[in-house]
Order: sequence, then structure tokens, then C-alpha cells
Amino acid sequence: MNIYINGTGCISPQNTAQGGPLLAAPREYEQVRLATVDPDYKQWIDVKQIRRMSRVVKMGVAAANLSLETAGITLPDAIITGTAYGCLDDTGVFLTKMVNQQEEMLTPTAFIQSTHNTVAGQIALLLGCNGYNNTFVHRGFSFENALLDAIMILKEGTAKHILAGGMDEITNYSHQVLSRFGIYKKAPVKTMELLNSPDTGTIAGEGAAFFALGVTSAPGTAATLTGVSTLYKPLWEGEVIGHIMKFLEDHHCTPADIDLLVTGRNGDIDQDEMYEEVAAALFPDHAEASFKHLCGEYPTAAAFGLWMANAIIAEQAVPEAAVFYGHAPKKINRILLYNHHQGTHHSFVLLTAC
Amino acid sequence: MADLKAQIIEQLNLHEVAPESIGDDQPLFSKEGLGLDSIDALELIVLLQQHYNIRIANPEEGPKIFQSVRTMAEYITANQTIKA
Repeated sequence: MNIYINGTGCISPQNTAQGGPLLAAPREYEQVRLATVDPDYKQWIDVKQIRRMSRVVKMGVAAANLSLETAGITLPDAIITGTAYGCLDDTGVFLTKMVNQQEEMLTPTAFIQSTHNTVAGQIALLLGCNGYNNTFVHRGFSFENALLDAIMILKEGTAKHILAGGMDEITNYSHQVLSRFGIYKKAPVKTMELLNSPDTGTIAGEGAAFFALGVTSAPGTAATLTGVSTLYKPLWEGEVIGHIMKFLEDHHCTPADIDLLVTGRNGDIDQDEMYEEVAAALFPDHAEASFKHLCGEYPTAAAFGLWMANAIIAEQAVPEAAVFYGHAPKKINRILLYNHHQGTHHSFVLLTAC
Repeated sequence: MADLKAQIIEQLNLHEVAPESIGDDQPLFSKEGLGLDSIDALELIVLLQQHYNIRIANPEEGPKIFQSVRTMAEYITANQTIKA
């Protein structure tokens, strides 16, 4: 059974919400923290409802609506999301008030909106969708596990159309805390030069990407979601290489059948070493595209990567801003998306052109 | 009442509503008025506690108190105590 990507929607630090050719006018930044380019959310959300929504809720609802619009679906059978950090902004507001007001006179809105499943809940409320609604909070596997759940449900036959997506936001608090771990670069770096950076650390990012998945294709469908796999804390690069070989074999192909490798390189010289090893061992002559210099690093950044990979298949071209190495063949039939988050959460997504 | 309107806008995140556009007797919870809902009612209860040190002892009084900005102001005037 094929799982088709019938519609996609993305809110990111690039102009991804407005449609048009993929990354036709890429935004270049010189900073260590990228924020989303926000469209006018009122086109999807009523003014009275929008006032209670934090940025991650708005970007999630918008990306979900965009994906449903492109798929021509008004009501999915299920909504599945993945988020590592959830609604951080409202969590911060609620916790700050708890401290400042000695746990008294706490307002309900920030509490209600601070849970991780707020985005999936808001989408369901706005659509009037009473179907299966689930949110995965599995750090760097949050989005991938949402996809796996969607695939399993579609294969079980209990749903025909599923809305699946991943989203995370940065707040001042979270950026400060994460910066203490040394995750980010110490000084601003030009995003288009990030992947050639000679030192450790990356840039922070945020965004939301949603996919309308179905067991039948729609008029604009470009790709099938052929497979998703995850690998947690591999001991060495050989384990990753072996996992990819097995993953491709399970889907009846070899590295030679892959037309484009899309990687989650993030400009951290230590973390990018794994991509170097994998590319050298399995894909030495393949073209490679990357995406984290465009969207920044966050636990569900693979959702942006999948959105980009699907668009590459749809347009049969790799935008210059995404090229890391080589030239993709004229016919891009299969894309392997390989991403890892913090060296611990490795994920693999195989896309095949329809 | 102008201060109270500003506080309501701040508490309910109604930043697109100008204080002067809220009528003193405009219903707060009907569609003809501001169209507030039950979550907003909880926010208004917190507003009374935070700004005026007023706790609503009898929840059944709520609809009457929160009928309009004027009824809220009258309730505050009648019940306000000096904040500790």
C-alpha cells in the first residue's frame, strides 16, 4: 500500500507560506537564532480565537490549513502532531506567574494553552474534527513518531486521510537555557555559510510543517512516503550505515537507487561528521542537499526537511540555496532524508516520486 | 471606567479593540457585544482579584457583575478594599 503526500504546508524562517517555486528568494540571515516569517494568520484563524494563541499554535494551525488546502481536504480522519518543546511561550508565562504571584490568581488561558497537544487540539476544534487526535513528545523523534503513527493507521485502514505534522518554537527563555549547553554558535554566522563553518555549535530555528497523507493520490500529489525509520544513540557510524542499508533493503532499493540525499547538516563540525561518514560510505557520488541553514536547528526540523524534499520531487529540481554537493540527476525519483538531532536521534525518511 | 476598559483589554489580550470603542453598557458576553466566553469570565475574576483585591464569593453573581463595564465598575466601587 502506498502512502501519498497529498498536501503540504510550512511556516519557517523562509517564505514558505506564500507558495510559488521552492526557495525562489531564500532569506539569508546573520544571527544565531532564526524566527519564522509569519503570514497573516487571520486568513485561517478568527480574530477572537487568535488572541489566545501563542506563535507555535498559530504557525501549526496555519501549516495544517495550508496542507489541507493543497490536498483539497476539508476534514481529515485523524490529526497527529509531534513536538519536543510544545507550547513553550505559554508555559513560560504560566510558570512566571506562578512564581511572581506565589501560586495564586493564576489565569486560565496560559495554563490551557501550555500543554504539548494544544496545537493538535486547536486544529481539531477549528476543523470540527472529532477523529483520532494524538501528539508525540519524543524529543528528536517527535515528528518521526507522528509520521510512523500515521503510516500505521493508514495501513490498518481505519483512516483514509491523516493530517500529520511537526512544530517547535523558540522563546527567549528556551534560547537562554539551550545556549548554556553550548548548542549554538558563540557569534552570528551567515546562514548561507553555516554548513562550511569550521567550529562547533549551530543556529537555533523554529517552524511548523504539516502533511496531508492519504491512501489515494490527489491531482497535485508528487511523492509517496515510502518509509520512515529511527535509530537511537548509535554507538558508531557503522551502525548508522548498516541501519540505512537495511532500511533501503526493506524498501527494495540500494544506495544506487537514491537520486538525492537530503541531510540535516547544521554547521556543527562535530555533528556534521556523521553525515560525512555516511555520505562517503554509501553515497560518494550522490548529490546532497541540506536544509538546517534555511530553518535552523530544532528537534522537529526534519519536518521542514521532508517538506523541502517533497517540493524537490514536485519541481524535479534542487534549489541552489539547498545544494550542498554535486548535481542531482534530471529525474529525481527517490530521495533519502537523513537527519540526526544532537547526535542521539537519527531518522531516515524515504520518498518516491509518483 | 476608562482604566477598567484598558485592564480588560490587557487581561483578555484584546489588543485590536480600542478602549473607547467599548460602550459602558455594551454587553460583554453576547455576540452583539464583545462576544466573550467562559474562559474570559475566569480571566475577569482574576482581574478583579489582582487589581481590586475583590473575590467573588457567590459565583451566581457572575452574570450580573460581568454584564457590562458599567456593572463591573459599580461592583468594584461597592466592594473594593485597600489592597494589602
